[in-house]
Amino acid sequence: MRWTLWIVLGLFPLVDGHPTLKTDQNSLETADAALNHQNGSLNSVLHLDDMEKAALETTRDDPAFPMKELNTSHYPATRAAKVAQHYLNYHHGSPSKWFMVHAIKKASSEDIPEVGKKYHIQFSVQEQATKEIVGNCTAEILFRQTEVQSAPEVNCTCDDLLKIKTSDADHALYHHIKHQPEPMAGMDIPDSQGNIPKEMEPLWYLGGIGASFIMWQQSNESTLYNMAHVHSVKQLNSENDLLAFEYVVLLHDMVSQEIIHWHMQVAWNPTQGVKVTQCHLLPKGTMKQPSAEKHKI
Amino acid sequence: MKGVIFFSALLVAVFSQKIFVGDQVLRIATKDVEQITLLKDLEELEHLELDFWKGPTHPDFPTDVHVPFASLQAVKVFLESNNIQYSIMIENLQSIVEEEKIQISRSRSTEQMRNTNSFNYASYHTLDEIYSWMDMLVSEQSNLVSKIHIGSTFENRPIYVLKFSTGGTKRPAIWIDTGIHSREWVTQASGIWMAKKIATDYGKDAFITSILNEMDIFIEIVTNPDGFYFTHTKNRMWRKTRSTNSGSSCVGVDPNRNWDAGFGGAGASSNPCSETYRGPRANSESEVKSIVDFVKSHGNFKAFISIHSYSQMLLYPYGYTKTPVADQQELDNLAKKAIDALSTLYGTSYRYGSIINTIYQASGGTIDWTYNQGIKYSYTFELRDTGRYGFILPANQIIPTAQETWLAIKTIMEHTYNNPY
Repeated sequence: MRWTLWIVLGLFPLVDGHPTLKTDQNSLETADAALNHQNGSLNSVLHLDDMEKAALETTRDDPAFPMKELNTSHYPATRAAKVAQHYLNYHHGSPSKWFMVHAIKKASSEDIPEVGKKYHIQFSVQEQATKEIVGNCTAEILFRQTEVQSAPEVNCTCDDLLKIKTSDADHALYHHIKHQPEPMAGMDIPDSQGNIPKEMEPLWYLGGIGASFIMWQQSNESTLYNMAHVHSVKQLNSENDLLAFEYVVLLHDMVSQEIIHWHMQVAWNPTQGVKVTQCHLLPKGTMKQPSAEKHKI
Repeated sequence: MKGVIFFSALLVAVFSQKIFVGDQVLRIATKDVEQITLLKDLEELEHLELDFWKGPTHPDFPTDVHVPFASLQAVKVFLESNNIQYSIMIENLQSIVEEEKIQISRSRSTEQMRNTNSFNYASYHTLDEIYSWMDMLVSEQSNLVSKIHIGSTFENRPIYVLKFSTGGTKRPAIWIDTGIHSREWVTQASGIWMAKKIATDYGKDAFITSILNEMDIFIEIVTNPDGFYFTHTKNRMWRKTRSTNSGSSCVGVDPNRNWDAGFGGAGASSNPCSETYRGPRANSESEVKSIVDFVKSHGNFKAFISIHSYSQMLLYPYGYTKTPVADQQELDNLAKKAIDALSTLYGTSYRYGSIINTIYQASGGTIDWTYNQGIKYSYTFELRDTGRYGFILPANQIIPTAQETWLAIKTIMEHTYNNPY
């Protein structure tokens, strides 16, 4: 058992989610978070300069900037936890592994003057394929007060993340797709009635994981994103051992209630995980809206 | 000319009917890569007209192939002489095709002609189907259920409310509406289920029978018919009404920002293109005005429940202001009781609280208005799920969602019944 643990830990550095992005108009900046993996935990180094670090130190013990306990039912905690979910999915998700926040146990926030607001959340997540609950997750989410949208910075640790074993499923899927005679493609996942053909499920998951990157990048204290629909997915040619797909996904923001369309390219293999290699926002009205019911009986 | 057309039609009919007679679907189990290669070679032989349902990819995965009758012998000889195992998945494809056609036409006629007992509650329906179902329910139980026309939509569709009553005049009443936001399909579907539940349980279930002996229940299932029709025909994600906005190419008003409570304040948009556009003035939408007029003229509603999806929350007023309602404590306690009841069925967990604290600031909302009218037990539900499927909840979750929600609603109804005011 010990052996396995050491080997697994040794392999973790390979599971690295550095997304490289084309900077288009309305596309996302290269995420420059450095990622360290330890025991299934993920840390992004908070980018504080010396002055900010000093401010942070001061606030820790300064009663003028106390930690505010949050009601776990109310929206500030919910929105922060959702950001942690997106972060966790992007770095740990796969076509066989997709997490949703299950319950928020404890939440607090602190105002960091001149910097922003930092949330501390203790929560559990549920993996959607296996239905397993990973009970002990903690996250720190920093929303910077900036003029332009900037991705929240996240530290996230889950005690039991490794217990979710999807490596076999991922490898089997990878081989299955690699050996298909035709590139895979799909549309309207799920359909109007919520149905998803069995063979499309992994592509739906993969879309969700890729979309998690976009949703993480686009989040702030006034948003709450979920992926509403996969409009289309098409497998692309790839020369290397990564599978590549082109997606158009619909994201729903609960706060504004708007549905936004994003185009993204996603690369994946079981050892390297998921990467969003390109993405950009599609202007409203570009895409035909999600198809209505096709079967009118 | 007519003769030619008739003959061609006959030919088409003949061909389309006889196209699969004797054809088989074989499931081939390969044991190694060599066998896969052999199957791929077989695939190349176009004259056999093979149709691979599952192509030969990997020895671990079966290959399924539809073989026309004419090619059957050749294919089987090929497989057997190469020691490739196979089984006959479908012996005669034509019989399956015919069976399917029968099933489709049977279900079509079932929907149209039978009764509310054979209606499929575990699937999503069109506006026409729901309106027909309503008429069936009323005709089956006219002693209990009646249909009231409360107004018309922007596009002139009728707006109906089902009334469940055992008599009296303007008895204290409970209101339930679903589908005010058209894309929230699990809500209309739950409304249908709950209406049927009430009709079925009256006279059999002690609780609902006592309630109906003293109170009336009103259910508006399709609160936004124009929007609902649009989600079926053009855009599954449509939320608002379909009214046109002068000076803008954008259509629709958010019917849950159009009520006269905090109207014009923060928590709604003044942009017609926005999903939360409040409208030019309060009650500008006929879908909203119809309910306002109905509720005011009735004058005796004691509970008002407006159902949305998704997020799994039970909310009470206010949305437009942080000022707590006078009955905050009571509403909060009752909400907790209701969601505890809800969770007993499938373990589904809900959050609860005031709208402004739990979800966001929202002005011009339904239950803010109804509460200010004096309807104390005003609640908004946000049904399943929490974002995995969101608005496009699989149909197999309709009934579990409706069942668990019903437990919460019964809790609210019971409290209303026991605490007259």
